Amino acid sequence: MRQTMPVRLGAAEDTLIAQLKSVGADATAERITVAGLPTRRVESYHYTDLKTLLRAIPPLAQAANEASAPALRVPGAYQLMIANGVIQSASTAPAGVIVGKAAGGVLTTRDDVLVHLNGAFAKESLTLTLESSVDPVIQIDRRSEGEAAHVADSLKVFVADGASAVILETFSGSNAAHVGNHATYMALGKNAVVTHITVDLSPRAAAHFASNEYHIGEGAKLRTLVIHAGAGLSRTQLFPRYEGAGAHGDITGLNLVVDGQHADITMDASHAVPHTSSQPLFKSVARGRGKAVVQGKLVVARDAQKTDAKFMHQGLMLSDEAEILSKPELEIYADDVVCGHGSTCGKLDEDSMFYLTSRGIPKEQAETMLVRGFIEELVDPIEDEALAEALHGIVDGWLLGK
Amino acid sequence: MTTPILEIRNLHARIEEREILKGVNLTIPAGQVHAIMGRNGSGKSTLSYVLAGKEDYEITEGEILLNGENILEMDPAERAVAGIFLAFQYPIEIPGVATMTFLKAAMNAQRKARGESELSTPDFMRAVKEAGAQLNIDSDMLKRPLNVGFSGGEKKRAEILQMALLKPALCVLDETDSGLDIDALQVVSKGVNALRDANRSMLVITHYQRLLNHIVPDVVHVFSDGRIVESGDKDLALQLEAKGYADFDATAA
Repeated sequence: MRQTMPVRLGAAEDTLIAQLKSVGADATAERITVAGLPTRRVESYHYTDLKTLLRAIPPLAQAANEASAPALRVPGAYQLMIANGVIQSASTAPAGVIVGKAAGGVLTTRDDVLVHLNGAFAKESLTLTLESSVDPVIQIDRRSEGEAAHVADSLKVFVADGASAVILETFSGSNAAHVGNHATYMALGKNAVVTHITVDLSPRAAAHFASNEYHIGEGAKLRTLVIHAGAGLSRTQLFPRYEGAGAHGDITGLNLVVDGQHADITMDASHAVPHTSSQPLFKSVARGRGKAVVQGKLVVARDAQKTDAKFMHQGLMLSDEAEILSKPELEIYADDVVCGHGSTCGKLDEDSMFYLTSRGIPKEQAETMLVRGFIEELVDPIEDEALAEALHGIVDGWLLGK
Repeated sequence: MTTPILEIRNLHARIEEREILKGVNLTIPAGQVHAIMGRNGSGKSTLSYVLAGKEDYEITEGEILLNGENILEMDPAERAVAGIFLAFQYPIEIPGVATMTFLKAAMNAQRKARGESELSTPDFMRAVKEAGAQLNIDSDMLKRPLNVGFSGGEKKRAEILQMALLKPALCVLDETDSGLDIDALQVVSKGVNALRDANRSMLVITHYQRLLNHIVPDVVHVFSDGRIVESGDKDLALQLEAKGYADFDATAA
């Protein structure tokens, strides 16, 4: 029998274990006690060593008394709010939307610490059932308010056959060292068409974690866009599962990091049946000593013939000290598929800079234009004009804020 | 005598260890169009890049005066504001930046640098529409990302459109005829000729005489091994076309 070496636990882990025990999640507490938070030796956390990066966990969140101003307002959107894990009462839902609550978390259990922690701490889940196509953008405004808090919340969305919707999630809150652990579960019925955008606008002091699980049915089309533009430490995990013939995912994401920030988008996609396709496209822009990570795994099941999936990560380094890390993984068990991956990384093109400046555009403005151009491919497919404009605003804010 | 628009004095430039411009002297008075002809590799394009301020080149000697002011210390954007415009031989494709957005940014950046107010959107649209009409540029083309997927002719027309909108004092056209068929050449030349003006000078760089049938120069210079070796009127271009550059190489040597 193998002897397990006890792991030395840090302050963050001690706090987590106590918090887990306080909510009765003994199994998860035991896991942390034995294994600790994942280090670089755990493959899926290789570039995001939580044991090193996550030094302290604030107290579990209490219901918030007040909320800060919304971080992102999209004209015409239907808004729902979850503050410190508590679902707030909402205005009348638009046609086709049924809003409800369920006890506990929503994610399917998997071997991942963030998924386990969310399951343990999320007390209730906001549920949305979209019975038919929904016109307005649905915005779920997730907040961490008040003193630094450990916040867990959860959202579950069912999209009926043939329905379409645009769902925006924004993460923000008071300026404190919050740790947010957010979960979203989304099931797309036959031929459903969904755009799901998640934008982290948390304060720099915060750590932001999100895990999004998608079940994409026959003929359904999913477009995602993850934007990391807030927390000092952020990681969004994407778990799309293509479950019916013709299911397609345009899984996209954007890391925007400045000096001292660490942002990670990790996708673990599963093509489970024949004739599904996906086009994961991620971009990272890093300034100063910012660090951006993209990991993309495509798992193609044995009978998932004719899978067509291409992963791409493009990095843009705006300084010599920036770090952009890219890890594509293909795990293919079928023998008749078209799968690929690619990664590029570079600086702003000098010829492009010369061209723009030779027209009288000052250097800094030319840089901004080129970075915006680099990112545009991700925002361009968003059809809702007000939403696209709001997203451009975030990108511009980041570019000008430096 | 009035100050010439452009005066280049004994200009030497190198890239890394290689000297490319070896003592260029050139004066273009206001209102004149000068052509520079020379074979590939003679340094013609380098001269155009050095005028526009590309960073790759080191100026080891000489000066460039624009309206009597030395521009060597200026960066490319400042030179553009001072009145230099380079129409690129190979315009750069900029994905994600709509042509219209770029035009507005360039016009307003120059206005701002000169202390003028920004153009209103209607004024901007009107200016672009008027200038575009002459060059057969429609609004669909302007909505596309800058130069991305443009045909050779579209790229060159877009360059001339920028020139028309930015109203430079000195237009430098680097091999504007390359990649153009006869029809496109006519449209582009017409656009250039429409910009000839008593207060504007042009430097047309080419290695074919063909372009100079359309844009008729006041003076033709022969460029060889990094300097001007012969100057004359437009007939010099015909002479070159007939005899080739060999005679002038001998002159240079």
